[in-house]
Amino acid sequence: MHLVLQDLANGILAGGILAVVALGFSLVWGIMNIINLAHGAFVMLGAYLTYQLFASFHVDPFLSLPISFVVLFTAGYLLQRYLINWVVRAPILTTFLLTFGLSLLFVNIALIVWTGDQRGVTTAYAGANFTLAGVTIPWVKLYTLLAALVITGVMHLWLTRSKTGRAIRATSMDIGAAQLSGVRVAHIYSIVYGLGAGLAGVAGTLISMSYAINPNMGEPFLIKAFVVCVLGGLGSVQGALVGGLVYGIVEAFATQIDLYIGTQHISGSGLQDAIALAVLLIVLIVRPTGIMGKATA
Amino acid sequence: MKLRPTAALGILALCATLAAPSVPVSAAGDTILFGSPVSLTGSLTKEGHLTQEGYELWKNYVNAHGGIKVGGKTYKVDIKYYDDESKNDTSAQLAERLIDQDHVNFLLGPYGSGTSFTVAQIAERKKIPMVEGNGAAEKIFNQGFRYTFGVLSPAKRYLEGILQMTKAQKPPAQTVAITAASDAFSQEVAQGAAAWAAANGMKVVYNNKYPDTATDVSSIISALKQTNPDVILNAGHLQDALLVQKGLKEQNVIARAYGYSVGPDTPDFASSLGKDANDVFGGAQWSDAVKYKGAPGFYHTAPEYAKAIDNAYHHRADYHNAESTAACLAFQYAIQKAGSLDPEKVRDALAKLDVTTFYGIIKFDSRGINLYKPMVVNQIQNGRLTTVWPAFTADGKPKYPAPPWGQR
Amino acid sequence: MALLLLVPLGHNGYIEIVFRNILMYAAMAYGWNLIGGYTGYVSFGQVAFFGIGAYCSAVLSAHNIDNLFADVALACVVTALFAVVVGLPVLRLKGHYFAIATLGIGLALSDIVANLDVLGASSGLAVHHVDEPHFYVYYYAMWLVALGSMLGTYFIARSKLGFAFVAIRENEEAAAVLGISATRYKVIAWAISGMMAGSAGAVFAPANGFLDPSIAFSADSNIFPIVMGILGGVGTVAGPFIGALILAGANELLQKYFIKIHTLFFGAMIVLVVLLLSRGLVWLFGLKGGARTWLKSLTAYKA
Repeated sequence: MHLVLQDLANGILAGGILAVVALGFSLVWGIMNIINLAHGAFVMLGAYLTYQLFASFHVDPFLSLPISFVVLFTAGYLLQRYLINWVVRAPILTTFLLTFGLSLLFVNIALIVWTGDQRGVTTAYAGANFTLAGVTIPWVKLYTLLAALVITGVMHLWLTRSKTGRAIRATSMDIGAAQLSGVRVAHIYSIVYGLGAGLAGVAGTLISMSYAINPNMGEPFLIKAFVVCVLGGLGSVQGALVGGLVYGIVEAFATQIDLYIGTQHISGSGLQDAIALAVLLIVLIVRPTGIMGKATA
Repeated sequence: MKLRPTAALGILALCATLAAPSVPVSAAGDTILFGSPVSLTGSLTKEGHLTQEGYELWKNYVNAHGGIKVGGKTYKVDIKYYDDESKNDTSAQLAERLIDQDHVNFLLGPYGSGTSFTVAQIAERKKIPMVEGNGAAEKIFNQGFRYTFGVLSPAKRYLEGILQMTKAQKPPAQTVAITAASDAFSQEVAQGAAAWAAANGMKVVYNNKYPDTATDVSSIISALKQTNPDVILNAGHLQDALLVQKGLKEQNVIARAYGYSVGPDTPDFASSLGKDANDVFGGAQWSDAVKYKGAPGFYHTAPEYAKAIDNAYHHRADYHNAESTAACLAFQYAIQKAGSLDPEKVRDALAKLDVTTFYGIIKFDSRGINLYKPMVVNQIQNGRLTTVWPAFTADGKPKYPAPPWGQR
Repeated sequence: MALLLLVPLGHNGYIEIVFRNILMYAAMAYGWNLIGGYTGYVSFGQVAFFGIGAYCSAVLSAHNIDNLFADVALACVVTALFAVVVGLPVLRLKGHYFAIATLGIGLALSDIVANLDVLGASSGLAVHHVDEPHFYVYYYAMWLVALGSMLGTYFIARSKLGFAFVAIRENEEAAAVLGISATRYKVIAWAISGMMAGSAGAVFAPANGFLDPSIAFSADSNIFPIVMGILGGVGTVAGPFIGALILAGANELLQKYFIKIHTLFFGAMIVLVVLLLSRGLVWLFGLKGGARTWLKSLTAYKA
């Protein structure tokens, strides 16, 4: 029983991080129709920024959350405004290729700047934990989950209530009509891409506390973001959260499959990607627009 | 088809530019040219750079001391590198390029078991000897390859030392839990450890793997914690060693010893984890505490070698450096003995090689792997890597059992 | 293509392997182009077929059957079967959802193979190959696979089949009204595209001599053909080949002259090509109106 609760906790805590990684990816894809392969590189840059602030100026990683957001938002805004914007309306594959190139560029610049050494952000309170009903919960991961919930909540409110948020949603529904009613599409697109990058940066900061930092660290997170955002429903804020949590919990429970058929070891953790993807396929076949997606989309 | 002339032109141009050798070919002159595809970018960049440092240190030493004498003539050495991007299939293409394009005399191994296996195929086909120091999977040596030699102890030995040591302590360890990454090398390491434990009266209470791309290992750690093992072993890479060590503390998993196949020996482990890295054991091919007296022609002892690495690269010598240098040394002594640069003669000299170096004995069994050099066990004690096993080579005593988290 | 027959005569193993890889990627790019370019179902999972084809050869080799024709034949049968079984549910998904599902299939297969002891699990399998003087057979075999893929694409594009594929891409509902059974044609397109990638894999495995999941299902084999297909020009006959030639060639040259930062330049090159030639290279060759049309194209997709 302990193990079941512990796995549930592990899954939820891991899922919170995945939700933040997927959120920015999902918004850019859902609203702008860009599959942003550079998203993993933004996560990596957020993590390095956090590391550099921590190593050089002893800035607590939680305090560098807003810094990561602002820096990466600005970078994303400028990138979209002055580069990606030139081909933003091209077929989805064109921007796919462009962001693939950008991703290679960023990863290799990071390799030159920070070398291939593994870095870590280990605070004085790293690993501190408490036990509740037999379940051990690390404080850092709990705070990370709370941060993820707050970020998702703020994003949801901002997209539904603010003027810019409404303009963004209008653009994603009908770009022509939005333009006619005075929305500056290039600006709105840049904000969305900036948001995607900023959220990736925040995710990078959160990840930096539990994961090794290196130039290629973004790749496995990018692949998980793909799955999570489709699982939850593309372009949906709640979808990213639900998708992230479902993914985290499935992976945690899959880990406990550990049996032998003859000499063939069936290891749920060795097969964790395959199991998560099988769940994705089942969800898509039953509900082709994801758990939280609109049925008509 | 308007495209045809353009495409034809493109093919011709590509052929011409690719065929042009990128360095003045000197193999025929008074330089012995070695070639190596190493990981300069990609996921194994760090290890690839350590490998390259090991090669470069040897090259600079040899050239500064006049070169290698081959049958009365003295040759300088040079090494041509390409970046395999840490990908198994890329290194094959690069090995072909080194042999056919750059006309290297001999191959030095890439980093990693998968890449070494791929390059070994090419070496075999082209009949060019390769000595490698960074591919420990025994599978490479069970193919009947004649031209591939490995200076390192096989993967299955990596964690044996830690088990031997914990079994000899008081109170002796009786149960062990193993987690391993799913790649070939890590799986062999884990199987070797499990087999040793079973054969020596220790009980394997948990043994599971995770994918190389794992971003979270907390559920494996939860399952492992339930089995309450005396010793916790991890067979993986630096990146997942960090993930596992952080995870063990987060869930307050208490064992008498924590051991890693890869991790503690690389300075990044202690620099990333700070105090949480203390008291952890690592299996290593070599440490600067080993007490061999090497043959003439290179640094004689481990401390001399370590000092040279520190002077050149400003970090503590790591076993990846040493095993890479050892691969070069194998060539150096074999070439001198063969008195020729003929690939076939050098291959035969390698097969008969028996020499002691700062790194240990270099001698190959009939399959081409070095079974004559023991592994060592290191422990991080107060942030410093100390060799604790086997006793005859140790410069410190193991700290066992490990104190609880927070008191390290 | 005929010119490429001459490559092995240079007796330079390296150039041979470079061009063999170009042919391999071209065959995969043709496969991708058929389902992604013509039929409009963008697949991120072609590497699954490549890997299946490669493992077919490895399994045959383990049973001491070392015959390239048998390898390719088995690869075609198995990939086609796989395409039908997996395609029936997956091809019901549209657009992004199909893309992600296919990505998932590739990753999941890699994961499953890495856990199957019969297939060597993650430590892989050695695959027999012929010795040095006859190594060029793999080159010619790959050439045939690429030629087959190209001719296949050429004839399909001009047949009723190709017409049906394009009709599905343009408007699936309208195609159904015209009496085109969308499901059947989609599965056919998917199966043929899988056979192209699978055959390439079947030849690659013995040529490489060693196979493990990270080689058989590598991210490069997945993404390169897509990049080449787009670079050359989506939905054209010449596109994939031109794209493969230029991309692989550029990669080799960068690797040669900029050892440590070649990937950086490679990334920069892709970015520039997309910005300057967003419609693919084939479009440039057929460009009418010269520089003015080209300048106009630069802003065509601007928001």
